[in-house]
Amino acid sequence: MNVANLAELLDHGIKAYLQGRVAEARTVFERVLATDPSNQKARSYLILMHGGSVSGPGRPVAAPPQAAAAAPPRAGGAPPGGAEEFAPSPWDDGPASAGTFVLDAGGGLDLTAVAEKSDLRPLVPEAPHVAGQAPAAKSDVQVWLQAARELHALGDFSGSLELIEKILQIDPEHREAREYLTQNEATLIAMYESKLGPLTSVPRLAIKPEEVMWLNLDHRSGFLLAQIDGAVDYDALFALSGLPRLDTARILAHLIAEGVITSQ
Amino acid sequence: MSDLEPVIGIDLGTTNSVVATVQGGVPRVIPNRSGQLLTPSIVAVAKNGKKLVGHLAKRQAITNAENTVFAAKRLIGRRWGSKEIEDARRVLPYELVAGPEGNDVRVTVAGRPYAIPEISAIVLAELRADAEAWFGRSVRRAVVTVPAYFNDGQRQATKDAGRIAGLEVMRIINEPTSAALAYGFGKQMEKKVVVFDLGGGTFDVSILDIGKSVYDVVAVGGDTYLGGEDFDRRVMDWLTFSFAKENGGIDLRQDKMALQRLRDSAEKSKCELSSVPSTSLHLPFLVGGGDGKSALHLDKQLSREKLEELTKDLVDRCIAVTEKTLRDAAVRTSQVGEVILVGGMTRMPRVQKAVKDFFGREPCKGVHPDEVVALGAAIQAHALAAGPKEGTEVLLLDVTPQNLGIMVVGGYFQTVIGRNTTVPTSQTHLFTTVQDNQPSVRIAVLQGESDKAIENELLGEFILDGIRPARRGEVSIEVTFDISADGIVGVSAKDVETGQQQSITVTATSGLTEDELRRIMDEHLDELLEKKSTTGEFDLRRERAMSAIREIESLVPAVQAALERSKFGKDAVQKAEGVMARVRQAIDARDGKVLAEAEADLDRTLQLFKGLAGAGSRPTSAATSGR
Repeated sequence: MNVANLAELLDHGIKAYLQGRVAEARTVFERVLATDPSNQKARSYLILMHGGSVSGPGRPVAAPPQAAAAAPPRAGGAPPGGAEEFAPSPWDDGPASAGTFVLDAGGGLDLTAVAEKSDLRPLVPEAPHVAGQAPAAKSDVQVWLQAARELHALGDFSGSLELIEKILQIDPEHREAREYLTQNEATLIAMYESKLGPLTSVPRLAIKPEEVMWLNLDHRSGFLLAQIDGAVDYDALFALSGLPRLDTARILAHLIAEGVITSQ
Repeated sequence: MSDLEPVIGIDLGTTNSVVATVQGGVPRVIPNRSGQLLTPSIVAVAKNGKKLVGHLAKRQAITNAENTVFAAKRLIGRRWGSKEIEDARRVLPYELVAGPEGNDVRVTVAGRPYAIPEISAIVLAELRADAEAWFGRSVRRAVVTVPAYFNDGQRQATKDAGRIAGLEVMRIINEPTSAALAYGFGKQMEKKVVVFDLGGGTFDVSILDIGKSVYDVVAVGGDTYLGGEDFDRRVMDWLTFSFAKENGGIDLRQDKMALQRLRDSAEKSKCELSSVPSTSLHLPFLVGGGDGKSALHLDKQLSREKLEELTKDLVDRCIAVTEKTLRDAAVRTSQVGEVILVGGMTRMPRVQKAVKDFFGREPCKGVHPDEVVALGAAIQAHALAAGPKEGTEVLLLDVTPQNLGIMVVGGYFQTVIGRNTTVPTSQTHLFTTVQDNQPSVRIAVLQGESDKAIENELLGEFILDGIRPARRGEVSIEVTFDISADGIVGVSAKDVETGQQQSITVTATSGLTEDELRRIMDEHLDELLEKKSTTGEFDLRRERAMSAIREIESLVPAVQAALERSKFGKDAVQKAEGVMARVRQAIDARDGKVLAEAEADLDRTLQLFKGLAGAGSRPTSAATSGR
């Protein structure tokens, strides 16, 4: 299965989930994971459907995971790897350098520090949700919002953001969606930036220039990569990129994770 | 000289600027803080609000075109509504608006209007900061160059830019004169020198009569919209069309990111082709493939031959303009003693050959064409700072840059004080009436080089009335021009028989009022102080952090001893080391933000260590007392 087919399949699964066809969605996401075990989005949606908790060490939880707590025990076979392995967030690998957060005595992240750093504030209370129930009576916006809340609570801020953006396309003034937008973005930016280290450090190409064309990048990543010349620091790159800060941070964190660039 | 405060020469170019100085008697260019000798004359406010100057501003000039100001030199000292401003408005991507008085020009960047001298001041301040970093001490005085055709208003605006940047502009000198100074011309030679200046955005040809330390710019010509950027554009167009042909019609010009990379690459390859016969352009992931396909790469070879073919008409235009300038000045190529090449584009072999073929002689190549103007300015700054004692260098006098005069019948311009007259000076001319019983006469004070009044700059006007009734030509009107050492022009007109008199004082103005200038200077000073206080704050934090680290390190043995007796906190030392490493990294990177964030962790670690060290010592003392 190629990348395009996988994306199509994923999209099909999301649509099925949002339309309440949970069993079909689960099958689709499991097929995605069988092909691409690292697919974060498919994992997140499977967690949603299984009501898995991700409040273990190293996982940021923005609000009490009420939905997860209220969810019934998982029925049927657990998805591959179990809930603890689902929805890997950018925190999982730990900061690339110079971690910004203090570990508490028992290990794990200091969530207060995370909240302070990312300007994360308590959310509006979540509506109780039982995984698997069809939200057929709700409008698309309500369904997406509910899913966005849950993904947010599970630490899948990218997935939550994607849905929030869909809501805001329909209703740009949606108050709660705007709150989630701000929080998701702030959290993701803080996460990705923690991978970069100090913003005054200078990224360099970690591979040979002739190897660049063998990577799998989009043109925006290509543009950012072209700006990395061993002289400009991250702070300047954010100014040069012309892209939203979140996109720039995401691309740079991805380039670091892939070993394409390294910080000095 | 080394004990004296350093002085610098600045070539404030349309596209690039250069700063130079004289050190140990040798003129040399000062590299900027990134190590480059040229700093693009570009100022921008990035989409994230950060102010960018120079290379960084250039690298986002296409993706953030509306908030990136380039070629401010074309606008400086110009009046709103002038032909030059109207021409600029048609081609510039950023917004120009009229100033509050309605007669000068402002540029809007990120929603804030800037006076043009303010933009130039940002570039000058950057160059000054580069020089200060290089000298390791404050730099306050500079000689700045301008094109020979700049009038008093444009020169005053450049001086104002220097003031805003915190520089005392010792003198404004002409670019071709500066280039000639760098070659040491004028000491023992008397000849005609042609300066062929093909820069990034403009092309200027100047003919100088040099002799016995007199540098007379006898003629100037050029094209204000012909330069290296046009050569870059030809390469970009060739790449764009080739790419479209090979990739199903994908137009790179529709994608700002692709266009930015294309321009950077086109310029780079053009420069490379001055020294190598062929170069390759390699731009991976340049543009989206469309319909979800992978991003496309651009791979192309460009030869010097191809570049010459693409730009042949541009080189021909330069030669045509040169020919016209010489013809207008009635100078034959055989009369030209030297030809000086100025501007990066003159490094192109085809341009050098065209110049050689036209003049029938090799142009001077001893000084790098990008640096020659700044080096001349540095030599002049050095001579001015050293004073007449050293006497080894040419000291230029302050002269009027253009003819000054009044409009006479038929719309013609009558010169009263000629170009290159040393100031202060005073000249008087007699005029008369053109009609019988003419009661009044209008005196329009103009500056410029054209015989037609309308083509020159109007500095001011007034009416002299109460003229006695008489036949035309019988009334004598005495018009006197006085120029003070400060460049203030006083013009008076007097009916010789009746003594009836009117006068006007004209001060060269950049369009900024003195109040406005002071306000802008205050703002820039505040910005500078804020930067300095941020630096001071960082130093304070660094001292505090280093003191805490020393204290923590001194407590480590006691803490380790305490931890050996405890089941908890085995990793406390390791965590503390992590915190200290982060702080050291922030200090090395001079990252005040990260340092501030890490401060609390460092304090907590110190308190924890103090507590552990104290706890480690307590049982011992308790045991002792229990014995």
